[in-house]
Amino acid sequence: MTIALEFDYAKPESLDAALRLLTEHRGRAAVLAGGTDLVCWLRDETITPELLIDLKGIPELRELDVDGGTASIGALVTFSDLVASEAVRTALPILWEASRTVACVGIRNRATVVGNICSAVPSCNAGPALLVCEAAVTVLGAEGERRIPIAEWFTGPKSTALGDGEIVTGIVVPVPEGRHGDAYVKLGRYRGEDLAQAVVAVLALPENRYRVAFGAVGPTPSRAPGIESVLAGKPLDETLIAEARGLVRNETAPISDIRASREYRAHMLPIMLERGLRAAAARRDGGGPAYGTALIEEAP
Amino acid sequence: MADFKFVGKPATRIDGLPKVMGAATFVDDIDFGPDLLHAVIVESPHAHALIKGIDTSEAERVPGVVKVVTGKDVPYRFGLYMKDRYILALDRVRFVGEQVAAVIARDLKTALRAAKLVEVSYEPLPPLFDPLDAVREDCCLLHPDLCECERVPWFFPEADTNVAHRRKTRKGDVEKGFEEADIVLEDTYTVPRYAHCAIEPHVVVGLFDHSDRLTLWSASQSPHTQRNVFAESLAPLGLSHQDIRVVTPYVGGGFGGKAGVTMEIIGAALATTVKGHPVKLRWTREQEFRNTYQRQAVVAKLKIGAKRDGTLTAIEHMLYWDAGAYVEYGANVVNAVGLSATGAYRIPNVKIDSLCIYTNLPPGGPYRGFGYSEFHFGLESHMTRIAKELGIDPVEFRRKNAIQEGDTLAYGALMNPSGLTEAIDRAAEAIEWGKKAAPSKPGRVTGKGFSLMWKAPAMPPNAGSAAFLKFSEDGSVNVMVSGMEIGQGYLTVMAQIAAEVLTVPPERIRVETPDTDRNPYEWQTVGSHVTWGCGNAVREAALEARDRMFDVVHRAHGFETETLYLEDEKVKCRTKSDFELALRDFVITGIAMEDGTFRGGPIMGSGAFMPEFTSALSDPETSQGGHPNVHYTVGAAGIVLEIDPATGRVEVVKAALAVDVGQAINPDLVNGQITGGMLQGLATVLYEDMRYDSDGRLLNPNFTDYKIPTAMDVPREMIPIIVEVPQPDGPFGARGVGEHTMIPAAPMVANAVADALGVRITSMPLTAEKIALAVKAKP
Amino acid sequence: MKKTITLTVNGEARTLDVEPSDTLLEVLREKLGIKSPKVGCERGDCGSCTVLLDGATVRSCLVLAIEADGHEVTTVEGLSADGPTELQRAFVEHNSFQCGFCAPGVVLSATELLRKNPHPTEDEVKEAISGNLCRCTGYEPIVDAVLDVGGAKRGGRDDG
Repeated sequence: MTIALEFDYAKPESLDAALRLLTEHRGRAAVLAGGTDLVCWLRDETITPELLIDLKGIPELRELDVDGGTASIGALVTFSDLVASEAVRTALPILWEASRTVACVGIRNRATVVGNICSAVPSCNAGPALLVCEAAVTVLGAEGERRIPIAEWFTGPKSTALGDGEIVTGIVVPVPEGRHGDAYVKLGRYRGEDLAQAVVAVLALPENRYRVAFGAVGPTPSRAPGIESVLAGKPLDETLIAEARGLVRNETAPISDIRASREYRAHMLPIMLERGLRAAAARRDGGGPAYGTALIEEAP
Repeated sequence: MADFKFVGKPATRIDGLPKVMGAATFVDDIDFGPDLLHAVIVESPHAHALIKGIDTSEAERVPGVVKVVTGKDVPYRFGLYMKDRYILALDRVRFVGEQVAAVIARDLKTALRAAKLVEVSYEPLPPLFDPLDAVREDCCLLHPDLCECERVPWFFPEADTNVAHRRKTRKGDVEKGFEEADIVLEDTYTVPRYAHCAIEPHVVVGLFDHSDRLTLWSASQSPHTQRNVFAESLAPLGLSHQDIRVVTPYVGGGFGGKAGVTMEIIGAALATTVKGHPVKLRWTREQEFRNTYQRQAVVAKLKIGAKRDGTLTAIEHMLYWDAGAYVEYGANVVNAVGLSATGAYRIPNVKIDSLCIYTNLPPGGPYRGFGYSEFHFGLESHMTRIAKELGIDPVEFRRKNAIQEGDTLAYGALMNPSGLTEAIDRAAEAIEWGKKAAPSKPGRVTGKGFSLMWKAPAMPPNAGSAAFLKFSEDGSVNVMVSGMEIGQGYLTVMAQIAAEVLTVPPERIRVETPDTDRNPYEWQTVGSHVTWGCGNAVREAALEARDRMFDVVHRAHGFETETLYLEDEKVKCRTKSDFELALRDFVITGIAMEDGTFRGGPIMGSGAFMPEFTSALSDPETSQGGHPNVHYTVGAAGIVLEIDPATGRVEVVKAALAVDVGQAINPDLVNGQITGGMLQGLATVLYEDMRYDSDGRLLNPNFTDYKIPTAMDVPREMIPIIVEVPQPDGPFGARGVGEHTMIPAAPMVANAVADALGVRITSMPLTAEKIALAVKAKP
Repeated sequence: MKKTITLTVNGEARTLDVEPSDTLLEVLREKLGIKSPKVGCERGDCGSCTVLLDGATVRSCLVLAIEADGHEVTTVEGLSADGPTELQRAFVEHNSFQCGFCAPGVVLSATELLRKNPHPTEDEVKEAISGNLCRCTGYEPIVDAVLDVGGAKRGGRDDG
């Protein structure tokens, strides 16, 4: 149905101007980037802002820069930008893979990764990938800029650490040091686009250190410290994988909803973890399936 | 096989170019000018409730609102086979989403805002969602006046129950048949509701002009039937067919969901309340899911007996249909199944009970397959199970028992010619039945499944088709018919039929979308019957035009008409080889004589077809004695699956479907029905999953959570197979196809899953989740 | 709160007044009379509203018209201005579409693909159009046509 809500629209040309508008309309304004979530919310009247502040007039927010040890992703960088970036694909394949699984081309051309983590639904694609990369969210407010570590970003379903009157200007992602292998495993109901019913993200670092994050199986995407510590420093063998699988239920809290039952999610998570671990480790060590392979379809 | 020039060839669709150029017009694309009003519906939040009162005063006061309409303003019933439904709910609502009031405003946003201000007070009543609950002795009656409803004479409602119709078919003696059997297998199969999901939502624009003429533009499969339903329903306003015109352009997918009348009657009624202004009603995608026909759910109890050598002896098939809140169309689905739920088999002893049961869910109605997809799931699963129990190959079992021409059907009539055995052989070969497939990836297992299918058009015995045909000065042809192009390629097929008779190539034949004022009658574009029914009419019209042409040539040139023939758009003569007269030279202008006069004039043709051998009258206790179905289209299908037992994820490696179309008028279009239908069928068994909560509210009224296949979900290989055993009374031997290709998908997947994993799942859908958890639960 | 915007639509600069809540889809269809982008779901799920915004496919039902101020919009009517493109001709030859409601969106998605990747593989074609739901065709003849333009053939099926 058409949008029946009435609201005003502004397109500031600088971050300062955007902040001023946000402060002026405190609590009654919404920030617009790609709009792929926001426009639906306006139609459903899940949100009822008086003013939309469109960030697309602020050019510096478009910057995508991978420079040696850090990737800087501006608030207006879309998932298509990430997919098209050779630099992202080589330096941060987990983020590249996560981006490719978002919906479809037409959505990716508009949807921003910052928007994705601001919507902060439990199944948000970027969350687990950014968690294993230990990214930080750059936020600008009246008092200036601050960086919020991604581990502190998600505070609940659809809830973040963003304060009133603040705007996310970008995400800073440290490129992991040394050889690493990544794997992003997403459970959907079929091969076509779907919101994740479960996500496992794995980063395999040198010396058998691992970072593991889950998505869509808890109120927020989250790291798995118990699994990570069990894996740390040990070569990945059958016993270790079985042990890691056994810990999944301690570090996830899947629910039943229209998309999947708790039972099936709980059943799938250890399988996805195993596939993610094997693929990430193999990729770190120079082999493994090509990035972009749908590991949910591929038994090791 | 006869050698035709245009029939049997993969002609380019005549509507192909407009559709890729953005030139194809659908109802929502038509401009009606600045006076166009917009309507928004107020819907019931309750599955079952009395309407105590409706306060429209606040809504009426909103600037830009022109009118607010409730059931009391248009208190008329409507329905196709039974009139059990009101245009807007009158005193009672029976499903969540039922239309209760309509706000008409100058623009859509105003209408939406005002609709929120309409206050309806309800007194909730206990709802019934399970058909097995709704047939209990003491339960609430959803339609207490059930038996007073106007209905077709072949429906049998049961007074003081929620059973709107029961079709009973009895042949032979099933008890004896079971005694003769060496094995008897009994089980229950459950199939949920499904949504059509045509990409174009329902939409209607109505204009009741100042000369009291009511015109509707609707996305419909059936303009003439719509007009008829409107005329019957709005007769109290003094309107009859002459006053009503229905215009139907291209339809963005129907699949049965745009057959009959659903929301369009609201548009028609609203138009009468705002005389002189066109008013548009367009369904949102949510309304598409909630308030259009749905494919009915069914609980099917099956008992089949067979001898040790595989001969089937008896079938007892009890089908409890969740038919929804109104069954004006859906009751015929139940009826059709009640006559045919033996499947394509020769079975001497038959007992079928097909019950149409009211529930407080959205109205069930026609959906590609018309009940046959629903019952084939259980029936074809059961056949494989029986074969396995007897130690007989499931395909061989089917070959042995496959119905043949001349066999007696369940209701006593005889089976038409069909290539069922050929279909079985070719489908089995296409998937290398009998050989275990090797998985293409580690960790996977493979399985193969097979299914027969059949279906007859379910129509009233007097469903008619008609066609007009005329020429233009350039020798091109216009064919005027009222069948609908819903994607199947109907316009092209009609052109090819006319082309074959007139030798004018299809690209020089225009077949356009109809208007009930200017196009002759077609009952509905449903039942996969228009190639047959309307094709016959078009062929007759073309022959009449040809006869007229020959008559004119005879009168002008003296040749005997038997010596004349058409070739390359010219009239030629077998006895005078140098005579040729181009059609363009005389089909409008006539033939000039030496004395300056002319012979002939505009050449036209007309044709009509209505089967004269069908009858819906039969013994209500046994269904014997009638001839309700014109003929069956049959086929067979096989599938190869790869399954990951750990995750339950299924990949369709190969799906082959053979269907006997009599004579494929356009093989490309038949292939299109096969691939499109197979994918739609596979989607019902693998992905689509309609979920209601305990209050009867649909939880997934959107594509986000009701998953229809994308291009990434297509089987690795789909093999369409065309069998051609001619239909004697079809145009060039053609029989219809369209629905049939969905029908075998679900059971053949269930059979393949059983083959791969040893797990028999008797409820749909077979999602990855269900399969994985079933594997896990296996002892 | 009407705002005046100017956008280039199919090569022509158009200036018009819009409400901030008007979607690009509504404005194209109702104010500019461009009917090829369709209303299918209004949630960005079906792709039948697809247009090219500065050359990239977007769901026009999820773009506010005001966001397109100063930008370029191309619809199938704009592609077709000089007659059918090679891709459109391939779709016609392959009888790729049935009801045609998804066709404009598919044409644009496939056009975007071929511009970026003139010789896509079967998987690349399927991914590119995976956001365009088609209920009629089973997608095969659509994929065939796009592969044909790219000079390839779909694997795993006999011809005819």
